[in-house]
Amino acid sequence: MTKVELETGGSVWKMLVKPGDQVAQGDTLFILEVMKMEVPYPAPISGEVAATYIAEGDAVEEDQLALEIAP
Amino acid sequence: MTWKAETDEIARRRKLALNQGGTEAIAKQHSQNRLTIRERIEKLIDPGSLEEVGPAAGTPHYDDNGVLTGLDPANFVLGFAKVEGRRIIVGGEDFTLRGGSPSAAGLRKSVYAEELAVQYRLPLVRLHEGSGGSVGGTGGAGPSLPGPVNAPARFRSVAQAMATVPVASAALGAVAGLPAGRLVSSHFSVMSKSTAQILTAGPAVVERAMGEKKSKDELGGWKVHTKNGTVDNGAEDEAACIAEIRRFLSYMPDNIYQLAPVLPCDDPVDRCDEHLLEVVPRNRRQAFDMRSIITSVVDRDSFFEMGRGYGRSQITGLARLNGQTVGVWANDGRFLAGSMTADGAHKARRFMELCETFSFPIVSLVDEPGFMIGSQAERDATIRHGASAVLTAALTTVPWVSVMIRRSFGVAQAAHYGPDGYVIAWPSAESGPLPVEGGVAVAFRREIAAAPDPDARRRELEEQLAAKQSPFPRAEALGVHDLIDPRQTRPELCRWLDRVQPLLPSLLGPTTFSIRP
Repeated sequence: MTKVELETGGSVWKMLVKPGDQVAQGDTLFILEVMKMEVPYPAPISGEVAATYIAEGDAVEEDQLALEIAP
Repeated sequence: MTWKAETDEIARRRKLALNQGGTEAIAKQHSQNRLTIRERIEKLIDPGSLEEVGPAAGTPHYDDNGVLTGLDPANFVLGFAKVEGRRIIVGGEDFTLRGGSPSAAGLRKSVYAEELAVQYRLPLVRLHEGSGGSVGGTGGAGPSLPGPVNAPARFRSVAQAMATVPVASAALGAVAGLPAGRLVSSHFSVMSKSTAQILTAGPAVVERAMGEKKSKDELGGWKVHTKNGTVDNGAEDEAACIAEIRRFLSYMPDNIYQLAPVLPCDDPVDRCDEHLLEVVPRNRRQAFDMRSIITSVVDRDSFFEMGRGYGRSQITGLARLNGQTVGVWANDGRFLAGSMTADGAHKARRFMELCETFSFPIVSLVDEPGFMIGSQAERDATIRHGASAVLTAALTTVPWVSVMIRRSFGVAQAAHYGPDGYVIAWPSAESGPLPVEGGVAVAFRREIAAAPDPDARRRELEEQLAAKQSPFPRAEALGVHDLIDPRQTRPELCRWLDRVQPLLPSLLGPTTFSIRP
């Protein structure tokens, strides 16, 4: 299981995946808004989204677990 | 009559010194997945290249007849050695003896490390695992005299070393007190994530003084110290730390009187990556991956980032262009929009000081929206630390090239341009006193409020003003040296570096300011 953690705090602007989705490495998983900038998070590996822990509109913090991908 | 008895005694003492803290202490060190200082040094240096200084130093034990029965070697190993054929000074505490807390001879050897490096003008590598002084003194049992009033200032040589030769250090186990102070007094420091902690004072002292109960890792593990800038980098284990130090040294000259070695380069100087045409999104709200630009324009695999976990809106590191060392500084728009925070400014200032000390040309890739704002930023004294970075840039004498990648705003952007620097802009460059998104809302507050559709009017004004921040008028006014196709960035940088070569020899030697921790 590969964990995707947030590099910065901010708010979740767009969730582009949900549990059960297949993703390829490099696909954008979600987009944070940080200081008025959109910060996309690419999938670190290909696999299935096992769980998501953030939702659109959430205020989030650095190091927070965002989602998990099963290879 | 020969001196055989004495030479036998010399040989016996050398052998005793190699015993370090004894079989049991060494086994304990290994059981905790840590190497001994001698093993660490062997991993760092070219095989067989250690020429020890003071191998006979230590505390002797004699029997009643005055015959030597044992020797506790000084718990600091020090010597000359070679890395990739280049001579260095290397030293480190021996944790298997007194837990690295300095013995009398160990202390003498440890403080000699910086003096040797300055005297011989050689890079210094310190491999730390040890604590500071003990209230029992350096000698253990028995009275110990305080130092005389005319003893040389202990830290003068530490500061001199930083102004004269490259200093790289690693924390490989628990490092506290004096060794911790010296660990951070370096141009590059790295700590082992699996075995090291850095502590101003350890858990027992902290609990006694503050009533705070914390483990060594909670107090000073890598998660704490790679984020607060105590060390530049964290690496998985001891071997990875030592590999990072070897890599750092490869970029460095032996001292401030020399230019860094130029390595053969098989990456074409005219290589143009198509990726650069589309890396900056047209949508100005979308962040992009600055590191992918850095790795694309410098020599392949040559970017060595320092301080990634700290002041993260700024990216700093060493790299090569056509085989020659340059300092690279860029903004990371993915972190706090790339804005200049207090810690980012401190990181940038230290980086500029490093480049100035060793006469490295600076490559600045600019996407600076300005100083970080908000109540936390005010509490952090951002403007003061930021101004410190701006003024440091203004005082540098090394050549600069600044590439305006995207944003270049406010006072903070001034830190990204050196005096008489060469400035080139990408078509995506925008610059001005402040980004339109913030500026329009303030400057046109009444007009926006009075409009039938305030939001639409605000967007309209933003678009109008954003057009004025385009790089074309700037290029027409010779406000930049050139406006370039982003794909041409590497060839442009390599040509610039070739042009500044005649300036570099005159920069060698002591600088008006050097680098401090």
